[in-house]
Amino acid sequence: MSHVVGIDLGTTNSLVAYVKDGVPEVIRDRQGDALLPSVVSVGDAGTIHVGREAERQLLTEAQHTAYSVKRFMGKGREDVQHEAEHFPFRVSGEAGGVVRIGLGDKEYTPPEISAFVLRELKRRAEAFFAEQGEFDNEVDRAVITVPAYFNDAQRTATRDAGRIAGLEVLRIINEPTAASLAYGLDKKHSGLIAVYDLGGGTFDISILRVEDGVFQVLSTNGDTHLGGDDIDVLLIDKVLAELGGGSSVVSGFSRTPEQLQAIRKAVIQAKWDLSARDATEIRIDDGRPEGLRYVQAITRAEFEQLIAPVVERTLGPVRQALADAALQPSQIDEVVLVGGSTRIPMVRRKVEELFGKTPHSDLNPDEVVALGAAVQAGILVTGNREMLLLDVTPLSLGIETMGGVVSKIIMRNSTIPASGSEMFTTAVDNQTAVDIHVLQGERELVADNRSLARFKLRGIPPLPAGLARVQVQFQIDANGILSVTARELRTDVEQTIEVKPSYGLTDDEVERMLLDSFEHAEADFEARLLIEARNEADNVIQATEKSLRNPDFAAIDKEELAPGERQKIESVLAGLRMVLNSQDRETIQKWTHALNDATRHLAEVMMNRSVKAALSGKSVDDV
Amino acid sequence: MASSTSPTLQVCRDCGGGAPVDAHFCPQCTKILSLGRHGDYFQFLGLPRRLQLDAADLERRFRELSRQFHPDYFYNATAAERRASLERSSYLNDAYRALKNPVTRLEYLLRVEGMPASGSTETAEREGFSRAAPPPALLEEVFALNEELDEIREARANGAPAKEWKGRLDAARLPIEAKRDAHQARVDELSAKWDALVDHGGSDAAKRDVLQALRDRVLERNYINNLLAGIERELNTES
Repeated sequence: MSHVVGIDLGTTNSLVAYVKDGVPEVIRDRQGDALLPSVVSVGDAGTIHVGREAERQLLTEAQHTAYSVKRFMGKGREDVQHEAEHFPFRVSGEAGGVVRIGLGDKEYTPPEISAFVLRELKRRAEAFFAEQGEFDNEVDRAVITVPAYFNDAQRTATRDAGRIAGLEVLRIINEPTAASLAYGLDKKHSGLIAVYDLGGGTFDISILRVEDGVFQVLSTNGDTHLGGDDIDVLLIDKVLAELGGGSSVVSGFSRTPEQLQAIRKAVIQAKWDLSARDATEIRIDDGRPEGLRYVQAITRAEFEQLIAPVVERTLGPVRQALADAALQPSQIDEVVLVGGSTRIPMVRRKVEELFGKTPHSDLNPDEVVALGAAVQAGILVTGNREMLLLDVTPLSLGIETMGGVVSKIIMRNSTIPASGSEMFTTAVDNQTAVDIHVLQGERELVADNRSLARFKLRGIPPLPAGLARVQVQFQIDANGILSVTARELRTDVEQTIEVKPSYGLTDDEVERMLLDSFEHAEADFEARLLIEARNEADNVIQATEKSLRNPDFAAIDKEELAPGERQKIESVLAGLRMVLNSQDRETIQKWTHALNDATRHLAEVMMNRSVKAALSGKSVDDV
Repeated sequence: MASSTSPTLQVCRDCGGGAPVDAHFCPQCTKILSLGRHGDYFQFLGLPRRLQLDAADLERRFRELSRQFHPDYFYNATAAERRASLERSSYLNDAYRALKNPVTRLEYLLRVEGMPASGSTETAEREGFSRAAPPPALLEEVFALNEELDEIREARANGAPAKEWKGRLDAARLPIEAKRDAHQARVDELSAKWDALVDHGGSDAAKRDVLQALRDRVLERNYINNLLAGIERELNTES
């Protein structure tokens, strides 16, 4: 029997999970990593790398590497032009058409790039099932999550990505709702729940009522362009301003795409540090001789001042969702935090202030969405009726009427599946076709809403003007995806509808894109071993760098390390970094062991200090 | 009345057997029925056509029926059953949404009783606020409010301090809100009357009178909301 999985296709990281004996579990790679960075790079020979290897390519071959592609799903070129400058890859595409992402000399649509990530997760799961001794280890069906505030085009693009990767997409479900499913598993929940989901690129808030195992979404809101990425951009701009301002103190800065990625990597490390500490350093080293070296201290207070506007922007949608559910913040029984960005203490504080209660975070905020997706996959396959998820459509659906005004047919926060219909007639005698423009959004004017598709109703019987009565039925299914049918009531003739998605792919295009391994070469077995060695080396490098950035390190060096111990660590670290991208697996492994050995004593010292700190009641600094 | 001509039977497209119009599954072959002939929202949820509903009971019915027909549970079923599940779930969701809110519930009742109110919430949202003439009972307030709004606009144009004109707007709201409260009390009273007629099988003529009065109230409510929205707009207009 082939397998079905739940997939969280994230802006920054993606995960795959499955249900084993009724309990959802995340599937890890051979190094034990659950998170697969949603990064894809295309080598010179057309070799595709996904995940951490692609992430390393960002520092050496930035223009061949794509990340945060989720922000481009279901978008037109003109939608993303303003932020394209933040990315090392080319962003192009025809006006009014789907965005294209240029990597090296090739161009891909966002669903194709996402399909590479999905295929990697499919492989990971298949390797896992094979290791478990399953006779049939094929993974061919999946539930994939999307931000609750994704519109029809973004959902369709996600479904297309699944198809391109060779997966039958059983269901598209919303991330916050998936998270609530995972939370509702072990406890007998009942009451009103708010799920605050701040991820790498998107923000969602969903208000749910849980009763008798039914998870009913009352309202949802969000911003599909708000997340950790925006915080990173603020930090990068701060560093760039300093690099540009005092160029005399900084040597080796020439603003190459790779250096910008080295800066991005360093600020992300600092951001993570500041979730556990009051101060850290932004340490940039682009790894090249005579390259960019830069160290700048940053405190949590400075960080919070910088990111306050981003955190503030999440509160508007929260208030709107509460208003739409006709609830006061104090009526919410439980608040659940989802997404890596909710590790930021300021985010937790603001959420706590708004709701007046401490949010839950007992499940890993990175993993909870994939777990929920696996639960939903289990429900679909087994027909188990213990739990039921009733979601809503996040945006109103309407059609263009006279004067460029939108007439709403299905209101936002309607439980899905939902349907609506509208009657059309003809304006002139013997007219046999009517044009219909479908939009999504809350604004009054067509120009301010999202264009989903244009339809032409054909085959209307020739009649005097105004006599034909064409009923157009709009159906939003349980995925939140729209379909349209039409019928002329006088003759009871079903109408032909030609769909031209405004920012989507046609079925034919998707068919042509189906990933086949012959065209998209993948790393062979040897290359995979090399990548694993690099991942291992990366882990040790990151742990070491984190220790060196620790504000206590200077004191530890002075009080507890042997003379020359720090220099030894630094030189082995530099050595490992130097060989990291070489093709020689054994050399990489040799240096990895060397760094492990060199830092063993330091790791013990740091562990002891944190234990002592904990015993004496001080806050535990991370080690 | 519309209700007297409503269909009472539907046909199972799978086995050809007959089923009551408010059934969701075929009594013969037990398959989910496609949404051909179906009852109105009240019948669909197994409720009498009353205006005062027990909210918890409505929620419970909604959850129970969702558990019966949600597409999640028809994933492995035939295409026809999947279609039926999608249509029945959509209809259930529409019914629940319409009946949950007392305002849309009243509008829906008027529609299925064959007395639709023009400028209902649905159409008002689509077409913007109705521009119909004010109901006679509100003429005086409308006249006074328009005059006051004109004066406030003029004062703002002449640079009156925010505190002054905002205070005047707040004051202008009071008589309208009083009207709204009186309106609501009248609606409640009429609703109770309607429910009593439903419960005890009142005459068609008596029902029609109550519905007529309720329909006038819907128009009145839209007008009151319209006036309050006008004040809100003025408050939110940047000077």
